[in-house]
Amino acid sequence: MKNRIRELRRQRDWSQSDLGARLGVSRQTVNALERGRYDPSLPLAFSIARLFGMTIEEIFEPEQE
Amino acid sequence: MIRFLVPMASGFAAYAAMLIVSQRLLAGDPDYSTAIRIALSLAPMAPAAFLCWTIVRSIGRLDEMQRKLQLEALALAFAGTALITFGYGFLEGVGLPKLSMFIVWPLMATLWVIGVLVGRVRYG
Repeated sequence: MKNRIRELRRQRDWSQSDLGARLGVSRQTVNALERGRYDPSLPLAFSIARLFGMTIEEIFEPEQE
Repeated sequence: MIRFLVPMASGFAAYAAMLIVSQRLLAGDPDYSTAIRIALSLAPMAPAAFLCWTIVRSIGRLDEMQRKLQLEALALAFAGTALITFGYGFLEGVGLPKLSMFIVWPLMATLWVIGVLVGRVRYG
């Protein structure tokens, strides 16, 4: 799923490790999320949204069917 | 990573040491009772059990994506080991040499590693 995680992370000058530490996940998971290789669970999606002060829909773009 | 590697390395070292000691004791004195021979031959399983506990605990500490990766890798190892060992069992029936049960775990571990590598490419 496309998302803005990398863009939002870079705006805050955070490394992937920094973001991972704030979310309680590994750097590898952050990388997979940013590349759209892994879609987060609902709790993790809420954590991401809360961290960036945005809604889930503003961060994640569901694939068009 | 260190939290995983240190107990794993310690466990493997203890397993190797216990294996060497138990095998030497068993080879050195054939007059041990059956109970002692059984205890000595199973002695390496104590550090092996510690290794299993370390692995299970480590998996419990993984985040959601890493757990998914491990689940898929373990599924590959489980199914692959079943297919290969059963397939070879049929081949033993037509004359291929019988293999020791000791071959099963290295086979499963190899497939597990392959599964993890595939997962890292998929999610990397």
